[in-house]
Amino acid sequence: MADQGAGALTAGLVAVLFVAAGLVATGVFTAAWRRDVTAALGGIPLILAGAGVAFAGVARFAAAGSPHLLGQEFAVLLAIASVALLALGLGIAGREGAR
Amino acid sequence: MDSLHAIGFYVSSGVLLIGGLGVALLPGRDVRGASLAVVGVALAGLYVSLSAGFAALVALICYLTCAALVAGPRYRAVEVVVGPLWRQLGAIAAGGLLLVLLYAVFRGDFVSAKFFGRVFGASAIGRLLFAHDAVATEAVAVLVLASLVGGTAAWRIRERAR
Repeated sequence: MADQGAGALTAGLVAVLFVAAGLVATGVFTAAWRRDVTAALGGIPLILAGAGVAFAGVARFAAAGSPHLLGQEFAVLLAIASVALLALGLGIAGREGAR
Repeated sequence: MDSLHAIGFYVSSGVLLIGGLGVALLPGRDVRGASLAVVGVALAGLYVSLSAGFAALVALICYLTCAALVAGPRYRAVEVVVGPLWRQLGAIAAGGLLLVLLYAVFRGDFVSAKFFGRVFGASAIGRLLFAHDAVATEAVAVLVLASLVGGTAAWRIRERAR
């Protein structure tokens, strides 16, 4: 392929895992730094997004065994879990804030 | 990965990390909600560049829902009792975690395999979700059910308290 030459721009598993590490660390920083508990809950989707990116990257670049799409499957599950956890946390925080 | 997908990957990654920093640092729930929406769009773009179209669609829907929850009118601020010293230590620990993860990635030796999946792959992921890993799917379904029941119960208690 013409665009797979020596000067072609490409990305690999290391680049994907760098992004995933940055997202996880940003989520942990959000959870630790925010004074407001409900604002700190915003770190949960970031942490789970980082984990999902790592899973999807492994499925794309390094899934040698079967099934190959296991990482994508867990990325889907982590996205659903993130919205469920955020909704539950905001509901509990709303209850505490009403007292 | 060809050049077009690589460009999409790097652009999405940059926007994703900027959106994440916005969620962490920006004041105001509406701005943080907008940042979380940016995270969702960029995450979907990153998944598309990784040939994970179905995961991109699900992530886009879920993270836009997260953004609506954060920016919505039911948001209540609850101040934490932890002092600023512990918060600063937590932030430093997050930086240390980033360094450890980056070192592990940089020094790691990963297997390289050829990707056989399709761009969207909804049917293959559906077979995995409902046949191969049905227990994990049911666990997430229980979590969603618990969050819906818990959120509804908390909302009813708050309405009665008014």
